[in-house]
Amino acid sequence: MRARDSWLRRILRVEGLPITFVLLLLVVAFMIASPDVFLGYFIYMSFLTSVPPLLILAVGLTLVIAAGEIDLSFPSIMALSGWLLGYSVHELHSPWIGLALALLGGAIVGLVNGVLIARVGIPSIIATLATQFLWGGLTTAFSEGVSYSLGSVDETFVWSLFVGRIGPFPVSALWALAVAVAMWLVLNRRRFGEHLLFIGDNARVAEVVGVNVAREKIRMFVLMGVLAAFASVLLTLENKNFFNTQGSGYLLDVMAAVFIGGTSVFGGQASVVGTIAGSFIISMVDAGLVATGVQGYWVRAAVGAVFLAAVVGNMAIQDPERWESIRRRLGLTRSAPR
Amino acid sequence: MKLFSSSTLAAAIAAVAFLATPPAQADEKLGAGITMYFQMGGNPGDGSTLPRTNGARAAAAALGVSLKEQYSGWQPETMLKQFRDAMAASPGCIEIMGHPGNDAFASLVADAEKRNIVITSGNSPLTKLKDEYTATGFGYAGVDLYEGGKLTAQKMIEYGNLKKGDKALEYGLRAQAERGKSDQGLYDTLKAAGLDVDYIEISPEVDHDSSLAVPILTAYIQKHPDLKAIGTQHGNVTAFIGKALQDSGKKPGEVIVGGIDLSPATIEGLKKGYISVTLDQQLYLQGFLPVLQCVLSKKYGFAGLSTNTGAGVVTPKSIGALVPLIDKGIR
Amino acid sequence: MTSSFQHIVRLEKVDMTFGRVQALTQVDFEVGRNEIVGLIGDNGAGKSTLIKIVSGVQRPTAGNVYVRDRRLDLEDYSVRTAHDLKIETVHQGQTLGEKQPLWRNLFVGRQIVDRFGFIDVKKEKEIANQLLLKAIGFRGHGITADSTVRDLSGGERQGIAIARAMYFKADLIVLDEPTTALAVNEVRKVLAFVEGVKTAGGSCIYIEHNLAHVHEIADRLVVLDRGRTVLQFAKGEITLTELTQHMISLHEGHAHASA
Repeated sequence: MRARDSWLRRILRVEGLPITFVLLLLVVAFMIASPDVFLGYFIYMSFLTSVPPLLILAVGLTLVIAAGEIDLSFPSIMALSGWLLGYSVHELHSPWIGLALALLGGAIVGLVNGVLIARVGIPSIIATLATQFLWGGLTTAFSEGVSYSLGSVDETFVWSLFVGRIGPFPVSALWALAVAVAMWLVLNRRRFGEHLLFIGDNARVAEVVGVNVAREKIRMFVLMGVLAAFASVLLTLENKNFFNTQGSGYLLDVMAAVFIGGTSVFGGQASVVGTIAGSFIISMVDAGLVATGVQGYWVRAAVGAVFLAAVVGNMAIQDPERWESIRRRLGLTRSAPR
Repeated sequence: MKLFSSSTLAAAIAAVAFLATPPAQADEKLGAGITMYFQMGGNPGDGSTLPRTNGARAAAAALGVSLKEQYSGWQPETMLKQFRDAMAASPGCIEIMGHPGNDAFASLVADAEKRNIVITSGNSPLTKLKDEYTATGFGYAGVDLYEGGKLTAQKMIEYGNLKKGDKALEYGLRAQAERGKSDQGLYDTLKAAGLDVDYIEISPEVDHDSSLAVPILTAYIQKHPDLKAIGTQHGNVTAFIGKALQDSGKKPGEVIVGGIDLSPATIEGLKKGYISVTLDQQLYLQGFLPVLQCVLSKKYGFAGLSTNTGAGVVTPKSIGALVPLIDKGIR
Repeated sequence: MTSSFQHIVRLEKVDMTFGRVQALTQVDFEVGRNEIVGLIGDNGAGKSTLIKIVSGVQRPTAGNVYVRDRRLDLEDYSVRTAHDLKIETVHQGQTLGEKQPLWRNLFVGRQIVDRFGFIDVKKEKEIANQLLLKAIGFRGHGITADSTVRDLSGGERQGIAIARAMYFKADLIVLDEPTTALAVNEVRKVLAFVEGVKTAGGSCIYIEHNLAHVHEIADRLVVLDRGRTVLQFAKGEITLTELTQHMISLHEGHAHASA
């Protein structure tokens, strides 16, 4: 017997609303604790500069997790694509070639991932972990560990197009938004996206209703590869530098952003809007806590606490039956067991 | 009839006024009202970061500066992000490190300077930017990297009586533009003394989590049984060389080890004799001095000062005296 | 062009092997043009496997499949092609995405799209809501096109799966245990639906454990046992009691064999 939908539950089900509310609460809290920083616009411009790569990665990963898979190789795509871009600017003096190579590189890594997972049948967590080492290692080997400065790339059109400024406002934020909107449409309004949802829900069911599971998975991993490459382009251009170690720091932050946003780790249920809010939360916590004067030791613990609270909260909203059974097991409810 | 003369009355009023006022306020601290964002480098509490943190905190407390600590896990792109966040808070000063390189920082520092934020540096130099902005307080508190490596090598040779033809390994970060200079100094000096020097690059994984160096070093040591010396200028890696030697069955002193910094494991290594010499960066000063620089430049417009915080090396003989200070996180 | 054909679907010497398990052995099975075929057998007899081959989910290891007397290129045969050939299946168990709303479940794999390739959500929901009004198994209120399958009872889920097959107007409808979670009056509706398919000129493969139902409406009964077709009866050829006896002795035959 299903529970009647209370009005509260119905509001909570609006996509991404709960976590956006948490984000706003957080901003207000920081405003109160550190008004000199959070009531001005500089800090928000700073966030808008650093969020785009994280957001693009997180939105891509949202689709992957919706399909019941995971991709751990994107940090190495960040490194590989960044190197291809850096090399092209530094040695070939062409940012356009660099852009093309970077995206192509990401697509190839994605394709290899897709084939290994969908055709050979290796579980995605293992396959992408392996390709993370492979491509990351190849990048270090080819680049001989060297980092590249992109010199005066900020004078090129490519730079202005992707990471330029309109006043204080970073253009890369608009690109990130465009990607997020596009991915929302793909997931919710395109056949491909619907197929991913069904694959994540139950791959057997997906097969039975006529979804070509292998083909869609491969497409999805290629898409993730291209998105990761694009994120790397934005990061590398913004820093005007290719750092040999770039990307490695993003792995856990991106996953945290996705799950805080409410996408279910079990697949079949995803929220791009939630991921956007989650990305902002992750980006903000470090700077916010520092500005508030909380010591650096607490940042990770704080992120962990937010993460846990978000996951539990999302479960309560999206999966009321599971939530009810947990409450019963913990003895938190007064109703008699069924 | 006057009861009190006017002067007595004046004196009495003065006395009362004096006694009635609250006790003289302590002089307002020199850096009161100044906020400083400080890049500490690694992760909170790790061996090459803690003394710096303590130094900065001590200076901040003494001078009344509001200190905002930033930890980047030694990742250059994180340092850049944190610099942007710091700038957005419009503080009085920001301390940065050289890992991202002059080019990456150039336009960011230019923006910050335009907004009258004092920028200074530590641990890893940004020579070009420092020269450009010395006048506005851009200083450096750290080791002269090449000289530091050179000194370490010299002391290694001295301490261990290393001779021409001896086999040595330099395990370092030569690929990183500025940071690699220290490894270059070590390498060049050993080579110049006629040793047969091999070089291995520290991987990003090991850079981030140096316990991962142990199996790598153990394998190398086993493969080269006649290895006489290992040199590095990576603080966290230094801490693990002793373990690698122990795991390889080497006795203390069989292999001469030169490193840097004084993390707890390195101190153990020194006491046991596995580590022969370690360059003391005096990390505490790398925290203390930039805060001082900030206050002096912000308040009085003094120019940036370059201080070489490398004191020399610590050996198993000299470690004893330093231990109490180290326990307090000062050395 | 409505060609005249004899069998809407025919399996010829079909084998199905999964690793070391032989699920189907040399199966010959056909469904006539306007015929209700009841497929019965013990658990594990191979009924669901046979159905999966007909519906395009599974490719046989050996043998041929004919649709409307034309041999299929099995490399090309998928669920999509089956739908295109007007074969609809209501599988036993998992045919719906639990976490997905009803309107997605109805149209997944053959979504209604606009000219830009975007799913016409409004239209799909409209049609879904209409289907809900007539669907079997819907006793209570509160279920809309937006409801998630997880919120539905077993009977309601079956109703949706059947409604989906009904909506896409097939020439051959395959029903695998369609009444397990339904109430008595709902079962009647399913049986009426099956008869209606025949009246409209189509065919049906009907799998049921409840011999009474199958016996009542099937034109022909095929008995599957351990991957082989063992018995066949035309309508009227055998009484329900006799049929039940046959099934029991088959079952006991297994018991003896494994004793």
